[in-house]
Amino acid sequence: MRKAFSFVAAAALMSAIATAKEVKIGVVLPLTGPIAAFGQTSKGGLDIAYEQNHKLKNGDDVKLVVLDDRGDKVEAATAVKRLIDKDGVAVILGEVASSNSMAMAPVAERAHTPMITHASTNPRVTKGKKYVTRACFIDPFQGSVMAKYALENGMKKAVVVTDAKQDYSVGLSKAFKKAYRAGGGKILKTVLINSGDKDFNAQVSAIKATSPDIIAFTGYYPEAALMVKQARSMGIDTPFIGADGVGFPELVEIGGKASEGFMYTDHFNETAANSPEAKAYVEAFHKKYSKAADSMGALAADAYGMILSAMNQCIDEGKASDDKECINDKLRHTKEYSGVTGVITIDKNGNAVKSAVVNEVKKGDFVYKTTVNP
Amino acid sequence: MDLSTFLQQLVNGASLGSMYALIAIGYTMVYGVLRLINFAHGDIMMVGAFLTYFAVSFKFPFEAAVALAIFGSIVVGILTDKIAYKPLRNAPKISLLITAIGISFFLENLFNVLFGGVPRAFSAPEYLSKVMHFNGIYMPVTVVIIPIMTVIILASLLWILYRTKYGMAIRALAFDIPTVKLMGINADSIISIVFALGSALAAIGGIFYAVSYPSIDPLMGIIVGLKAFAAAVLGGIGSVTGAVLGGFILGFTEIFVVALFPELGGYKDAFAFFFLILVLLFRPTGIMGEDLERSRF
Repeated sequence: MRKAFSFVAAAALMSAIATAKEVKIGVVLPLTGPIAAFGQTSKGGLDIAYEQNHKLKNGDDVKLVVLDDRGDKVEAATAVKRLIDKDGVAVILGEVASSNSMAMAPVAERAHTPMITHASTNPRVTKGKKYVTRACFIDPFQGSVMAKYALENGMKKAVVVTDAKQDYSVGLSKAFKKAYRAGGGKILKTVLINSGDKDFNAQVSAIKATSPDIIAFTGYYPEAALMVKQARSMGIDTPFIGADGVGFPELVEIGGKASEGFMYTDHFNETAANSPEAKAYVEAFHKKYSKAADSMGALAADAYGMILSAMNQCIDEGKASDDKECINDKLRHTKEYSGVTGVITIDKNGNAVKSAVVNEVKKGDFVYKTTVNP
Repeated sequence: MDLSTFLQQLVNGASLGSMYALIAIGYTMVYGVLRLINFAHGDIMMVGAFLTYFAVSFKFPFEAAVALAIFGSIVVGILTDKIAYKPLRNAPKISLLITAIGISFFLENLFNVLFGGVPRAFSAPEYLSKVMHFNGIYMPVTVVIIPIMTVIILASLLWILYRTKYGMAIRALAFDIPTVKLMGINADSIISIVFALGSALAAIGGIFYAVSYPSIDPLMGIIVGLKAFAAAVLGGIGSVTGAVLGGFILGFTEIFVVALFPELGGYKDAFAFFFLILVLLFRPTGIMGEDLERSRF
């Protein structure tokens, strides 16, 4: 067995020397399963960024190895292990759901392989990690944006809906409550749901009894769509505010008329994007998919761009393009990378400091309302 | 909790419970005959919902789409039996169980590959998605229609089982397959009928599930299939009336855990399954189940 292994390793080594060098980026996304829209939109943006550029300065080819984890944390961790051990990737890009990224991070950390998540916003994803970076803001900021927006619009009494199965939702609820109370708002009640549930009538009935000004929904779009629908059909017309986990076409398709007026914070809205990078991306996106560019795809494109930029910096320093330590160092020290979703600078904890936008569902479209800076 | 909220929660419990009951009947019937826990049941549900969705998007009227979907699901059910279960008729039960799990994964992944995993919006006709309104209590029409459907299905199932020759053959099969064969009955075709019935029930369950919760994806059958299975076990697996009872108990438990202890709402499934364990500790065969070896239906 050991002989066979070393033979394979030697063969792999020889082919690496003989042919033009190929650097692999491992991508882990929920391409199927309940949160498939996260993965599919991310992949859409990633494909555009890849088509725009997949050659490094020294002529090395970048190759994407994309694995589907079905939105499951165990599968996500297994996928990272496989990408590192079997495919020999230099970097990991993914996931979207914070719970899944948190399952992946220790695997990447142990293998000293840099990992960048484009869209996981829970602070614990990067906390205490040396090899994990992210291309998005974190939930304490996002929660305060939600709270501020609600309070500024005169909504002083809130019910918070938390998805007990998602670390994202638990963290975001906490951040929202803290900022909302600090701003003078009152939390009437917290109701718990589980992702995968479809019947929220019990929760909706409980919310109805408290008559709040606003319902702060911190979960993901599959539950948001069904919950807002069930709330409206029970005669509740209280507005909903969510975050970056709800702004997907499925919210409107499944929620139908009930989703009208659903507000949410997000990373990107193409009508507010005006940098040359964003314009080029949006144009390519329209050409390829003939629909509005979404935020997950834009973030994935930025994470990919940051990886390429890190690899090119390593090449400049005379290192190999797949030098994991060097790539990680460059990713963690990203400074003013101008991407699609804005200018990205990574702080000492591996988090990006960026502005957020607030959108609202109007006539089935995601309409830009405002931008909030950190 | 005031009275109107309480009544509303009762309606919610009946709505969810009747849904579980409808699906649990199919589970229990196949088990009653073949002693097979058909883990693919939840996935046949998904097939039924998807076929309806596709037929509707091809501009079929909803009723025709439902008929087509039920027919399609029956075909899928019979094919699974012929291809996967038939070669294992004389194999140990555990092989059959593992095959059923395999079929379940196969169907989920097949639909994932063919149609993608993004949830789709299921559009039901107006008369099924209406919400009635009395004195501040909101009641979707499905809350009335699903129990009626469940009773109709239950009655016709009992009629088939107790009043027809095929039913007699099915019941005989449940006791002793080799002896039934000796009597000159084609056991294989009778088993196919069982699967056809089970698949039709699953498809009806899947379609009503999609009408009530209009978001369908290839993995939608997993959780609800598991819940319906728990309902069937709670009521006494193999007993059709037990399945209905189990479905309602499970539905009310889930709703009232959230209603009475909102801060524990995240653990409602844990409560439902804890209740299941509790019942099984005192009545190992479930509420309506009798001696496992003696009772059939």
